[in-house]
Amino acid sequence: MNLPWADIGRLTVEHLQLVGMAMSAALVVALPLGVWMSREARLRPWALGFANVMQTIPSLAMLGFLIPIAYIGGVGTRSAVVALVLYALLPILKNTLTGILQVDPAVRDSAIALGMTPRQLLWRVELPLAAPTILAGVHIATVTCIGTATIAAAIGAGGLGVLIFRGIATVNTELILAGAIPAALLSLVTDGVLSWVEHRLWRSSSPSSSADARAVAAERAESSSGRRTSLSS
Amino acid sequence: MILGEVVAQQIERCAGLPVERRFQLGGTLMAHQAMQAGEIDVYPEYTGTALLTVLKESPRGMTAADVRQRVRTVYRERYGMEWLDPLGFQNTFAMAVPGSLARMQGWRTLSDAASSQFAFRLGVGYEFEQREDGLPGLRKVYPFQLNGAPRSMDLGLLYRAVEQGQVEMVAGNSTDGAIARMGLVVLEDDRGYFPPYEAAVLLRGDVSERHPRVRGCLEQLSGRLDEESMRTANEQVESGQHSAEDVAKRVLAQR
Repeated sequence: MNLPWADIGRLTVEHLQLVGMAMSAALVVALPLGVWMSREARLRPWALGFANVMQTIPSLAMLGFLIPIAYIGGVGTRSAVVALVLYALLPILKNTLTGILQVDPAVRDSAIALGMTPRQLLWRVELPLAAPTILAGVHIATVTCIGTATIAAAIGAGGLGVLIFRGIATVNTELILAGAIPAALLSLVTDGVLSWVEHRLWRSSSPSSSADARAVAAERAESSSGRRTSLSS
Repeated sequence: MILGEVVAQQIERCAGLPVERRFQLGGTLMAHQAMQAGEIDVYPEYTGTALLTVLKESPRGMTAADVRQRVRTVYRERYGMEWLDPLGFQNTFAMAVPGSLARMQGWRTLSDAASSQFAFRLGVGYEFEQREDGLPGLRKVYPFQLNGAPRSMDLGLLYRAVEQGQVEMVAGNSTDGAIARMGLVVLEDDRGYFPPYEAAVLLRGDVSERHPRVRGCLEQLSGRLDEESMRTANEQVESGQHSAEDVAKRVLAQR
């Protein structure tokens, strides 16, 4: 096997940079928007609808739409990052909204009765209780983003997709795998790290629980809510 | 596909024989095996592809006539297959620039572009980037100015980028429908850098003996299809306006 190790290393770094830029931007946009949506019900169908529609656009078509758009698109890294951000919106928005709405109304009422300002309510009650659900959304978005970032190579933005595209163009399976396997490993490692972080978060928000299943997010948030409020008061 | 349809219709029209169409066989090697096994009798192929893929020889440094001669000899001796005279177009790499730019600068050939002071933003597909007879040697032969490093990207998106004025030169394929659709001009490879990929019809020897008319009918096509008409034909099918059958009919009627 004659693998381009230097390329693999360089492109892995590029790949991580693309994912890093995209996820930072997605968090900056989607977290505040998710919070705003929890306050403003009229916003929900629009924002969620937009994020849903973005998911349905095939990646090459999305890049094609971005090329003519000034300041946002074009050829290269910018378009690739914008596309990845648009794909990452839905899980973050949806889980932020769900996490906040799942906070027990009784907990919210007692926090208000204790004289908390809306800002204190958000930062000291709602966000801590919603954190596991929000993190689960960020988790899904990040792992997906690592896979999707291989399409950045289609618009000249580099990353591990370069090896995959080269392999396809020259009918070289080894080269395809030289891009696909590192991308899969990055996904697995990231998944492991984020699962561990989530697990820690669960334990801190609910010491009696050792389960880390994300599916039970709602019940956990509720069962720990009473204790959390008394602590924060 | 269009080329296959043109060949099929020509046999039907001229020799009056029924043609069973077996398209999209999955590449040169598959078609070659099917031909050897007697599953197919006729198929269009590129001389350079045959040399590279079937004979496993490099077309490096060979002229179109050299390649044609070489595949002809080997195919006759080794496989009992005949290469008819070339159809008249090549499907090789093509450096395309926007038509307006080429006219304004008065470029016709790649040498013209190389001797001008214009700095190109160049976009290439991954095949061109990787192939030895693609990007690596291009600028040794044609030392044109570059504005930034060449961009490697998906060829479809690349054509969109040139349409939007984000690159000024694209390495595409000479029969790409997008070249016709976007009014690009292919700069002539006047120093013969790109490998010769002439299209020609391959016929099994025993078929040509059994149906002597087929050969004559197919030879009527030789030298009659140029790159321009193939690009237009590809563009018409790609745009979804016309079926391959209709477009092939039109191509045959135009000759």
